[in-house]
Amino acid sequence: MKKVLLLGASGLIAPHIIPALEGDYDLRLADIKDHPEGKPVLNVDVREYGQVREAVEGVDAVMNFTVLRHDDVLSFQVNTIGAWNVMKAVADAGIRKVIHTGPAQTLLAYAHDTDIPVDAPDAPSSDYYFITKHMSNEIVRSFARRHEIHTVCYLFQGLAPRPTEPAEKTSTREFLIIYDDLAVACRQGLELPSVPGFYQAFNLHSHYGPGRYSLEKAERILGYAPQEAWWDWQRRPAG
Amino acid sequence: MNILITGAASRLGQAVSEALKGHTLRLMDESPVEAPGDGDTFEGSLLDQDAVWRAVRGMDAVVHTGEPPQDLPQSDTEREKHLLELATRGTHQLFKAGVEAGVKRFVYGGTLDLFRSYPDDVYISELWKPLPEPDMPAMSRYLGEHTAREFARDYMVTVTGLRLGTLVSEEEVAGRAPDLLWLDYRDAAQAFRLALERDASDQVWWTSRYAMYHICADLENPKYLINQARGLGYAPAHNFAANWQDRGTP
Repeated sequence: MKKVLLLGASGLIAPHIIPALEGDYDLRLADIKDHPEGKPVLNVDVREYGQVREAVEGVDAVMNFTVLRHDDVLSFQVNTIGAWNVMKAVADAGIRKVIHTGPAQTLLAYAHDTDIPVDAPDAPSSDYYFITKHMSNEIVRSFARRHEIHTVCYLFQGLAPRPTEPAEKTSTREFLIIYDDLAVACRQGLELPSVPGFYQAFNLHSHYGPGRYSLEKAERILGYAPQEAWWDWQRRPAG
Repeated sequence: MNILITGAASRLGQAVSEALKGHTLRLMDESPVEAPGDGDTFEGSLLDQDAVWRAVRGMDAVVHTGEPPQDLPQSDTEREKHLLELATRGTHQLFKAGVEAGVKRFVYGGTLDLFRSYPDDVYISELWKPLPEPDMPAMSRYLGEHTAREFARDYMVTVTGLRLGTLVSEEEVAGRAPDLLWLDYRDAAQAFRLALERDASDQVWWTSRYAMYHICADLENPKYLINQARGLGYAPAHNFAANWQDRGTP
């Protein structure tokens, strides 16, 4: 069973995907705060290199779901310096697989475009939060290339549980991902034997509907696809 | 012009201050700086939001040399973290405060180190893709460069990036084996002076408001081309001819 360190295990994202992964992976959960359901969590502040280095010891892969947005100082420290610390520790420990996460807003400049190619360069605007995440992508990419760490970066924005009843007069957000789909993507990332060029970023979402941000690359390299046609819950009663 | 110079206590900062005589300068650093003939000094850190807001007030231009302060934490890890924070949050804070205060021109000191991993038998121009190594000298300047670029995208300001070679003094490297990246401090300062003359703030296209120039010595057989900088009037005076001559053809 692969040992995987999950940083940000108590945050807004990870608690929703842990149940789908913990049966098949030996997860080492880490965060600076307690897990919402009381799972044991290793106390790790990603701003402190020593703590991160200790936490990565002995794992096969690292998933970095740490993120902070509400405060500019902390955003730079957690998102950017944290990414540096994680990749440096991974390189130092000889770990070969990383899943990094970034919000899709690093692609903000394309907000009014369509047919945005899968590898469109980041254009995050001068907003501090998007800049911190863009910089983290650059840091991760540089370490991945230099130290040959197979790294995937998942771009999404917003999570939701699987729909259980039809919703009328609503259209989904284009980068929204269903928890279960994200868990599948994480599994695929962990199992991917090699990442072309050691770093690849992927658009990730659960709806084909709006069709502006292609999932083609995630399909091709990861084998990803939304597990179900979630958008069927948003069908307009026609005729 | 009223010009704020960051990293003013550094050797580059001092050379830039010297080259900008005639302007009203505000020399900012974390340690004391000798006052300029015309202007004042400002002691404070780029990580101190209040200090940065006060420093940019009344300025027409900001020269962000990117040079780190003299006093840095002793431990490698702490020093690295501090440098990264200065390059990322510090640069962002400086530009953010600058645009809010009405500063129209920014010059950013980057590094040509981003292209070191390319082989030596190519000609590197501004069109080449940077390949920053995950070490602090390259990465910190690279991330700051990206921050500067985003401000040019978002605001009607002129942002000029200078990717500098390895800073040395021609006299001090006499007799040493030459390096394709060498750049004399005084020529770097000349480039900052010329970059400050660029005024594209009213250009509708952000791609005109932003510009990037490669700055190093003028060699007979260069790896790093300075053709684009020549368009600014850049004409380096310290080209390490003796070093290259001793060694044969560069």
